[in-house]
Amino acid sequence: MFLLWLRVAVVLYGVASVSALVAVFGHRARWQRACLGSAILAWFFHVVSATEMLALDHRWIPTGMHEVQSILALLISTVFLLIAWRYRTLSFGIFGLPLAFLLAVVPSLGLDKYTFGSPLIRSEWLFVHITALLAAYAALLFSLAASLLYLIQERRLKSKRSPGFLDWLPPLATMNQIAHTTLVLGFCCMTLGLFAGSLIAQERYGSAYFADPKIWLSFLMWGLYVIMLFVHRSKGLRGLRAVYLSSLVFLAMLTVWAANVFSSVHRFGAP
Amino acid sequence: MRILLTGLNHKTAPVELRERLAIAPESLARETQALLGHPRVHEAVIFSTCNRVELLIVHEGDDPQLPAYLNQRFSIDAQTLHSHLYEYRDSDAVRHLFRVASSLDSMVVGEPQILGQVKESYAAARTVGAVGPELERLLQCAFAAAKKVRTETQIGASSVSIASVAVDLARKIFGSLEGKRVLLVGAGKMSELAARHLMRQGAGSLLIANRTQERAVRLAQAFNGHVIRFDDLHARADEADILITSTGSPEFLFRTPHAQQFLHRRRNRPMFFIDIAVPRDVDPEINRLDGIFLYDIDDLQSVAASNLADRSLEARRAESVLDQEIERFRQRSDALDVVPALVDLQAAAEEMRQAELLRNHAHLRLLTPQQREVIESITRGLMNKFLHQPLLALKAAAREGDAATIEAIRTAFQRAENKEDSAEEMRTRTEAMPESKSGEAVRLISKR
Repeated sequence: MFLLWLRVAVVLYGVASVSALVAVFGHRARWQRACLGSAILAWFFHVVSATEMLALDHRWIPTGMHEVQSILALLISTVFLLIAWRYRTLSFGIFGLPLAFLLAVVPSLGLDKYTFGSPLIRSEWLFVHITALLAAYAALLFSLAASLLYLIQERRLKSKRSPGFLDWLPPLATMNQIAHTTLVLGFCCMTLGLFAGSLIAQERYGSAYFADPKIWLSFLMWGLYVIMLFVHRSKGLRGLRAVYLSSLVFLAMLTVWAANVFSSVHRFGAP
Repeated sequence: MRILLTGLNHKTAPVELRERLAIAPESLARETQALLGHPRVHEAVIFSTCNRVELLIVHEGDDPQLPAYLNQRFSIDAQTLHSHLYEYRDSDAVRHLFRVASSLDSMVVGEPQILGQVKESYAAARTVGAVGPELERLLQCAFAAAKKVRTETQIGASSVSIASVAVDLARKIFGSLEGKRVLLVGAGKMSELAARHLMRQGAGSLLIANRTQERAVRLAQAFNGHVIRFDDLHARADEADILITSTGSPEFLFRTPHAQQFLHRRRNRPMFFIDIAVPRDVDPEINRLDGIFLYDIDDLQSVAASNLADRSLEARRAESVLDQEIERFRQRSDALDVVPALVDLQAAAEEMRQAELLRNHAHLRLLTPQQREVIESITRGLMNKFLHQPLLALKAAAREGDAATIEAIRTAFQRAENKEDSAEEMRTRTEAMPESKSGEAVRLISKR
């Protein structure tokens, strides 16, 4: 049944993505309502699907790539809705919603052919570890997007031309706030995720686990994150420099994600 | 009932004439009441803004001669007035009103104030009972059309005055202007206007630096702001988020090193420089710095001109939205016009039915109550069946604006005006209805 709800959510994400494009670029109030309505519905069905999916096997964490993708899509749409509610802007829907759609579309096609075999997956701490890290990825993605949009808006204002096509861009202050808030949110999630992961690793495998390349990279990324937050706060970085910093952390995040391939421990027995 | 709109506006009359006719908001109700007292005027509204004075009335019979009224009321020579006046009747008046309310007839197309002014006129007319059902329907439709134009087009989206362009740009940088501090360097008229606009939009406080201290103090009192000494300008300019400068200085007052210092002290929080001085007060190079946004008078004017061009494009879309709204209004009016005819038709048929029952009262009296009930039900059923087609034809004619068919059906089923007419008289009158009229109605109905 969860597949059916997920498919409904995917269709609604599709509708919301198209509506977001028309609403943002065409300034159509009716489309704005359609976009927000369908995004909320999609989020609701996605939550139902995720709850059913996880409750089905009496477990709390995703056990395959499809499920991980689906949860990441859900977290992205959650961050989008939070931004839309807090800052009254749908502008982030033009990339957040299509991303959620693309991430959720493959899992909605069918069940995962393989799942992670490790008994660890039933641990509630692992649930905290994975969900918090996925949330950090989602938040960082929005932070990077906000910094990029800030840069575009800044260039547009400096060029002194009529806004034209770029009229949809939110004000600089709003984007700076979004970039900063999502950055802090991502940092909190990442710290929580790493802390939970370290506890599990310490308890199950002892110090041997810390030879895992992904663990090293994860801590490196956390360190980068701390530096970036410090610089951001102390210097009040905006524009191009903020984009460079966000991109650096995002790149590190992608490296950590890719490191999973080289880590035999982190693959949880997947083929 | 006919609709008539007479008046003059910025396209037809010079300001010297417009100001002679202008009516202050507090006198609007009184003037509307005076207009209502004019012969043959049933309903009236007066629109008076700096760009137009228009009288919108609903009248019956002959033309109520509004130019003569204006002539007499405002003591303006008839010949002078006549060449500047325009008159729109019925559907043309409706179209003109819709265009005015939607700001398509304004000097600055898309400006938002006009709808509020039309609503104020409507409110004033209502207070003196000058708005009847016709104007109520017309004005409500005009308001709805104006709202639709605003929501479905971008006609009012971009600013077209220097001051509002500056406010828009400030909003694009700071989001809300709440709590933002404005520094006025030099106290010229233009900078004062821009500052006034920014303060009205929610800017938090105002700092003023001027070479002549007295003028700065006077302005500070007017805006509830604070004066800073001109010599302290560079030391304190970083306190402001928005800096408007318009001094007569022959050299730049602000250069790149100054801006770098400001940014450093502000921890890179953005600053918006509006330079409306000629020669300029701010070195254009500072716009290269991250976090500094500089617009001079030419930049602001070019944004305003570009926005104005965008509005002209949107105005075309707005006209097509208005076409639909005007058509909808016409259909609604026609449908409402036919309501009395529908009621008359049903009442006439019911009277005929009652007359027939009365005529056969002696025979019906012999029947049992149940049998009488059956007869009652059969006659009512027959009546409804006979009426079904004429009613449909009436509604269709109303939709299509076919006045001849409506009139023919109304005449064919004409009802006695006098309520005291007996049912028998009614029956006799119906029977005596001219063959030609009944035939015409039947022919028109059967054509449908």
